[in-house]
Order: sequence, then C-alpha cells, then structure tokens
Amino acid sequence: MNENSSSKIQGSSSKGLINTAGLPSSYGDTKIVILPRDPLWFFAYWEVSSGVMDAMRTRIGVDTFKTSRWVLRVYDVTGVNFDGGNAHRFFDVSVEGAQSWYVNAGETNRSWCVDLGLVTADGTFILITRSNIIAMPRQGISSVNDEQWAILQVEFERLLKLSGVDKIGHTSFDVAKHMRERWEEIVSLSLPTSPVGASSWSSRGGAEQGTRPKGFWLKADTEVIVYGATEPDAKLTVQGQPVALRPDGTFTLRFYLPDGVQQYPIHAISSDGTMERDITFIVRRDTK
Amino acid sequence: MEPKGYWCLQLHAHLPYVRHPEYPDFLEEDWLYEGITETYLPLLGILEQFIVEGIDFRLTMTITPSLAGMLSDSLLQSRYYHRLNGLIDLAEKEVWRTRSMPEFQPTALMYQRMLYDCRRIWEKYHGNILTGFKNLQDAGKLEIITCCATHGFLPSQVSKSAIRAQVKVACEDYERHFGRRPNGIWLSECAYQPGIDEELKKEGIRFFFLEAHGILYGTPRPRFGVFAPVYCPSGVAAFGRDVETAQQVWSAETGYPGDPDYREFYRDLGYDLDYDYIQPYLHSDGLRRNIGLKYHRITGKVPLSEKQPYNPEWARNKAASHAGNFMFNREKQVEHLSGVLGRPPLVVSMYDAELFGHWWFEGPQFLDFLFRKIHYDQDVFKPITPTEYLQKFPKNQVITPAASSWGDKGYYEVWLNGMNDWIYRHLHKAVERMSELVRDNPSAEGIWRRALNQAARELLLAQSSDWAFIMTTRTMVEYAEKRTRDHITNFTALHDQIKRKSIDEGFLGDLEFRNNIFPNIDYHAFAAE
Repeated sequence: MNENSSSKIQGSSSKGLINTAGLPSSYGDTKIVILPRDPLWFFAYWEVSSGVMDAMRTRIGVDTFKTSRWVLRVYDVTGVNFDGGNAHRFFDVSVEGAQSWYVNAGETNRSWCVDLGLVTADGTFILITRSNIIAMPRQGISSVNDEQWAILQVEFERLLKLSGVDKIGHTSFDVAKHMRERWEEIVSLSLPTSPVGASSWSSRGGAEQGTRPKGFWLKADTEVIVYGATEPDAKLTVQGQPVALRPDGTFTLRFYLPDGVQQYPIHAISSDGTMERDITFIVRRDTK
Repeated sequence: MEPKGYWCLQLHAHLPYVRHPEYPDFLEEDWLYEGITETYLPLLGILEQFIVEGIDFRLTMTITPSLAGMLSDSLLQSRYYHRLNGLIDLAEKEVWRTRSMPEFQPTALMYQRMLYDCRRIWEKYHGNILTGFKNLQDAGKLEIITCCATHGFLPSQVSKSAIRAQVKVACEDYERHFGRRPNGIWLSECAYQPGIDEELKKEGIRFFFLEAHGILYGTPRPRFGVFAPVYCPSGVAAFGRDVETAQQVWSAETGYPGDPDYREFYRDLGYDLDYDYIQPYLHSDGLRRNIGLKYHRITGKVPLSEKQPYNPEWARNKAASHAGNFMFNREKQVEHLSGVLGRPPLVVSMYDAELFGHWWFEGPQFLDFLFRKIHYDQDVFKPITPTEYLQKFPKNQVITPAASSWGDKGYYEVWLNGMNDWIYRHLHKAVERMSELVRDNPSAEGIWRRALNQAARELLLAQSSDWAFIMTTRTMVEYAEKRTRDHITNFTALHDQIKRKSIDEGFLGDLEFRNNIFPNIDYHAFAAE
C-alpha cells in the first residue's frame, strides 16, 4: 500500500493555540501508543528518551542516524499473536519531526500494531519501540449468522431498515452542536453583512426594517472602536481580556455594540507591576 | 392485558464537577444552577405529581457521580439557594414591571410560578434533591443508573486499571447516595469497545446502553435489531437506541424543539433589560449574560430582534400535541414491529436530560403530557425499565456489540482530534504512575493515605470527557484546558511528593478542600491487574 498522503493534512502541527503551560513536553519514556478514532483512522503519539536517542546514534553511527527517516511501520495483525514477524502485511508512514500522527489504516475491520523506528538510507528498518495493539471499530453488518437466533437474509434486511441502519451517522446529535448550529443560523440572519468573530457569541441582532428582497429597504447596525496608547511594555486588558499592544504602545479594538449599556474597562499595569491606570467607557445604545 | 410492546425512556443527567470554593462567584458553576432550575427540579416535580395522582410511569435516568456529588455538596447547595432567591426576586420585579404589558405579563407570571415551585421542592428536601429521586426509585417508578465516575471516556484508555477505576469508584459512590448497588450504567458518551463489559461485570452491573450501530454491527447478527437487548459475552445486557425516536426530537427540520411556538433560547432578559435594573442579578464582573428568563418564542427563521412574544398557553398546547404525536407514532411502531419480530418489541429512547428544560424549555411539559397520555389513552405499549424488562424477558441473544459512541459520526472523533489529542499522553502517564503508587503503597495510612486518595481524585477529574468535548466545541475552551492542566499538575505534584516521601500538608489540604469529589474514595481502585 502507498504511504497514506492524506494523513499529513491531519498531522498534529497546528498546536500553536493550545495552552499546555506547566505540563512536561515529555516524560523521559520511550514509547508509542495508538488509539482508534473511527473504523478507518487511528491516532498515534510517541516519545523517545534522550538516552535511547544517544544509544541509537552510537549504535548505527552519527552519519547513518542523520540520513535516516523516522517512520511508523503499521502492521496488520488481525487474528495473529503478533511477534514482529508474522503480520499479514505492513506499510510505512513517514513522520519526520512529529510527536503524533493520524494514520489512515486503509482497510476496515482489522487490528493494528505500530513500530516506531528509523529507516536508513539503504532501506533497513531499525525498531525503536512497539505500540499496543488495537482492533478498529467494526464497520458494517456482520456476516456471521447466529444458529440459535437465525434469521433469513430478506427478513434481516427489513429489520435493519426498521432499526434505522440507513440513518446511522446522521442522527447522533450532541445538544451543544445542535444549539450552536441554531445560534449560527440566528447570527447569520441577524448580521447579514458582518463577519462573526468568537467574541460575538453573546452579541445581539441588529436593527432591520423591511428586509424583503424587493422594494425599499434599510439595514443599520452599530460598532464601537476603543483605542489608545500606553507604555509599549505595559500590560493592558480591556473588559478583562489581555490586549496585545503594537510596538509603539498603541492599541485599537472594535466591538459589536448591541442595545443596552456596555462597559469597556481598560486597565494598564507597568512592566514592573508598580503602577496602574484605569479608564472605563460606558456606552449605551437604544434602537427606536 | 399484556401490551404489544414496551418503551424505555432513558435520560442522561450529567454535568462535570465544577465547584470553586476559592472564589465567591464562579461563572461555570452556572451550569449546575441552570440545570437544577430548568431540568432537575421541574422533572422531580412532575414525577412526584404522577405518584400523587396514581399515574403509572417508568423512567430510567442516569445521575452521574459528578452530578450527584455536586447536588449533595453543601457549599453548592447554599450557593444555589442564594441564586434561586435572587431569580425569584427578579421574577417578582418583572411581574410588576410588565403589569401593563399584556404581551409579556403571562410569561412573567409563569416564571414566578415556576420559580416558586422550584423553591418549594428545594426546601422540602432541605437542598438535597437526590433524596427526592431516591424516593422515586424506592417506589419502583424510576430506575437510577450510574455512569463512569467522572464521565471518563473509556475507549481512549489504554490501561484496564483506568477503566476499572472509573467503574468501581462510580458504583461505590452510588451506594453512598442511593443505599444500594446500581443495576445499570451509562457509558460516558455511550462509548463502548468490546471488553469494557467485562469490567462492568466485575462490579455487578447488569446492563448498559449503546448507540444503534453498536448493536446492528455486532457479531453475530442481532436477530431483533435494536428492538431487544442482547447479552455481551460477559453476560451483561446491552440496550440499543431506537433511531426513529431520536430523530423525532433531533431532526433539524422536523424535530419538536424547533417549533415556532416554543421559547427562544437565545433571546434573554440578561441582554434585553436596562443595565442598572439587571445588574444586581449578573455575575460580579457585571457582564451581560443569559440569566434564564426569556420572553420570546422561536417565531421562525428570523433575527433575534424580530422574535415575537412568548405565549405560554400556545407553547403548552404545542407540547401536548407533540406528546400526542409521539405516543401515536410509538403505538404504530410497536404494532408494526410486534408483527415483524414475533416477540414484543422494546423501543429505547435516550436523550440528554438537560435537553428537557434547559435547551428545550417545554421538554418537561412534553414529558408530563406524554406519560399521562400513555397511562390514560392507550394500551398498545407500556413504559418499562431495563431491570424490569430483563426480569420479564431473561432469554436474549448473545452477541459481541461493535465499538461505537453516540457522538457526532458515531465513533470517537469528538474526543480525539487536533483540538484535544494532546491530553492523552498526560492522562495515560498519570494512570501508569497512579498504578505504580498503589503497588508501592499497598496499605498506606494517615497523611500518606490522604495524599494517595487525593491523587486518585485529581486523576479522575482530569479524565472527564467533558474537557475534551468542550475543546472540540470551542466554547469555554480556556476553562476546559485549564481544568485538564490543573488536575494533571496537581496529580503530578502529589505523585512526586509521595515518591519523595515528603508530603506538603498545606498543599494537600488545599486540594482536599477544593477538589472534594468522592469523599470515600479508596486509591486502590487504580490497582493494576
């Protein structure tokens, strides 16, 4: 099988926004763990201790080490007691520089095991560590018929339809997802021209008069711009949220302004934490 | 007369353990307070009224260990009572403010009445409403099942000891609240993989629930589809979800909760009212947020500003007619299935409990009408609990169900994707370390025992599937990430102190004070095999 190219799109490189402050980046272990995600994909994460890394360098030579590729060797171990050599087949996934990966297994209803290792320039595979074994979630109807509880094919198909087998995957709504979709629909109706940012989760509808497609119409809405400047190295918050200052110490923020009274407390602290300044704007909007 | 079939309604009541005694006012605690006012108390009130009127009903309900822990916690109880009285104060003011606004006055009066009911039931149980639910269970009408201790997502655990701890701690905690062992469990997110049932068996669990394809894709083929439970190889029964009833509520186009007459969730007085007037009822940061009183109906696909006033009478009539429709469809379904199957079918409907009341405001009224109609108006089917069903029909097919969940797309992706996959290396390491601590400290006493127990609590709290879920839905992500980090960090600190044989008692005491879930926990729950 070809190396699964689509897994690269899902390679976990977009971690920039996740805050893991205070957690170790590794535990000094050498291990790989795989977890099923769905019938086709599984997730792998791993770490290799610096000691094992050094030993490997010494064992195969620094030059060979440098020119080798890091790979996941994925073994189909369905129905076998895997000993490293008795898999039905295997394929390699290149994972240079990554610490985790989503692997497309390419085939459903199989069991998998993964070796993390190096492939040298001459194609030799060097094992570093072996994963747990997982059986993927079963996809589709079993072909096994129960003798004691046998059922005719035609009856079984009818029963499956009554059980909603054709609707699987379309019905499992989570409350939060469903409500979020409803909210997004409302927002799209309320703000036909404004992009919706994360901060407008609590925003309110604008004012509209006569939105029919034909004839005379009017749409209007309001936003407020809060701007200012402080020492470039100061810490600034607006409505309690930290704000990044430009290099010259200025800042500009734009908020959607709903009906009612809005407060925009601005709080600045000097870089050494000894001095503070506060300004609060109170803005009221009424729509008539 | 024997009915032609049976209907099992399973409501999953769950909230993650959110309790912050270190702050006087904490936003995320609202999840609990809203759940109590909008779902748990209305539901309890309706079920108790059934008993009074002699309406025979059966309901199955998870009260998850974390929710039970919060409902029985005296700090959260007193905070809720304070919150409820604040809302009542506002509702009373609203009745006065809307006195010459005929379009809003009936709704203001409705809220006042509902909140008075909440306070009456709350005071009847002196703030511990678990007693009310326990009474209904003892009366044989309600079956309360447990859930994984902190709603841990079992298929993402590689160690059996992690799975066992989630189940074992849950079952022991259930006894503390309900005075007996649980018969059933709701696997968090209905997430199952073959073998998990073995761990349930060890704790005496007799049944659990599965999404439809968990049964339909099972091996061998399920003879009765999802309309009869199956036995796993371990002997534990699995009940499969009926897709038709799920769709009647959840379909984006035709589902009941989207009806134009029902209350609009997203238009809330917290935004509509004058700031000075509403400010005392907001959080201490003074930001406008939803406060739970809403005066408009869904109306249709219109902007919030064009939502029409809510009419409690119209909404009530709609709930009654939807209940009638639901019952009619069950009668037809059961009649048809009983012909096809050659045995009385069982239709299992399962929903998040908070759907009823919190998200779908009229949901409790719908259930009220539904159980009354089922009792008085038909004899085609009967409500039943899983325990009763298994007593009546002990002979069922043995199959190995398929790995599945009830989340989006039916498997594990909601809890394992680029937003949250970083948590698993830390969670797995912590389990490994916890099992080592158990092995190295087989009979700890005194402060050592306290430290080990607290380490187990911190680990369990880190395992809540809620954090991974919130990271995926991208609302309140910071809080979810912080909770994961904090519990892992707390665990690691305790682990290191135990290893170093030097416990910081002040640190330990502070954690015991803040993260006080499972007061009777025994750290041996994490013993390796």
